[in-house]
Amino acid sequence: MTIASNVKQCLSTMKGIEAQLSSMALNSLDTEAQVIFHEATITIEEIRKDLQYRVLELERNEPQYSGS
Amino acid sequence: MPDGLFIIGRSLFFLLLLFITTKVLGKKQISELSFFEYVAGITIGSIAGEVVTGLESNMFHGVLALIVFGFVTFLVNYLAIKSKKFSDFAEGKGTVVIKDGKILEENLKKEKYTIDELSALLRQKDIFKIADVEFAVLEPRGNLSTLLKRENRPLTPKDLQMKMPNEKEPQTVIMDGNIVDEPLRCAGKGRGWLYTELEKLGVTLDNVFLGQVDSYGELTVDLYDDKIQVPEPAQRPLLLATLKKAQADLEIFSLETNCAKSKAMYKKNAALLQATIDKLTPYLNG
Repeated sequence: MTIASNVKQCLSTMKGIEAQLSSMALNSLDTEAQVIFHEATITIEEIRKDLQYRVLELERNEPQYSGS
Repeated sequence: MPDGLFIIGRSLFFLLLLFITTKVLGKKQISELSFFEYVAGITIGSIAGEVVTGLESNMFHGVLALIVFGFVTFLVNYLAIKSKKFSDFAEGKGTVVIKDGKILEENLKKEKYTIDELSALLRQKDIFKIADVEFAVLEPRGNLSTLLKRENRPLTPKDLQMKMPNEKEPQTVIMDGNIVDEPLRCAGKGRGWLYTELEKLGVTLDNVFLGQVDSYGELTVDLYDDKIQVPEPAQRPLLLATLKKAQADLEIFSLETNCAKSKAMYKKNAALLQATIDKLTPYLNG
């Protein structure tokens, strides 16, 4: 396990969380809960973008791990 | 035999008449909240009973009396809505019997209640010590409403300054193996969604005795076959755990990396994620 693969794993976890939060925002009946879930989705999306950028950086620095 | 037929005929007729009278007078009559409704309720019942079995009497006298009682009650209800003074007079007002933790003896005497009767009413509300009560009112119907002192009231999340998410009422969407469409619509879902959820749980619609959708759009079912284990919805606690794991991962990355820029990025995002977790926790617990 390399750092790059760990970060990639975390990135996909983030993607999963984002999708789940998004679906919960749609499924909830309470408006307040909908808003909280939606806000959380946006925050997670920002974190995911940062991570994605970092993954690209790592792949550029260590090309032998790209795609793994 | 004609007597029997007579009674059957009268009974059915009066049943119908009483049904109509109570329908017209509404739910208020059934709860018998005020003195007037209490009296009217008893009298209407006994008139009907008397006339149904009293063969020699004229049935229409009974019908007349019933209609009069029904009409007057209706009129009183109508006037009570229009005028506060009239409603106080006809339906009665509550009498304060305990104030600031002290019994008001004069009011108690006016209502002809003894101390024993008052304590019996308090005991029905699980109150054994009069000093615990801040305020108590005898309602017109004779029941007691009490307000406990602040420190004796049950503890609520608000007292602990806990944030609790608001929840909508659960909707019963499956009854006896049939989909009930109206509550399903109230929950903002469709049949397609329901079939998908049932498939996720691995049960067929025919086997479901009762299915409810909660505030978070999660389906819980009760099956005819109680031996089958249905998985409980665990999506939210699971999501909370995943969030915590991701947050820990970010912190580990921030410690592991040597690049200063990435370290700062990981740290910032770990903090951001922690704040999000804190905000989501009340919604994702249980």
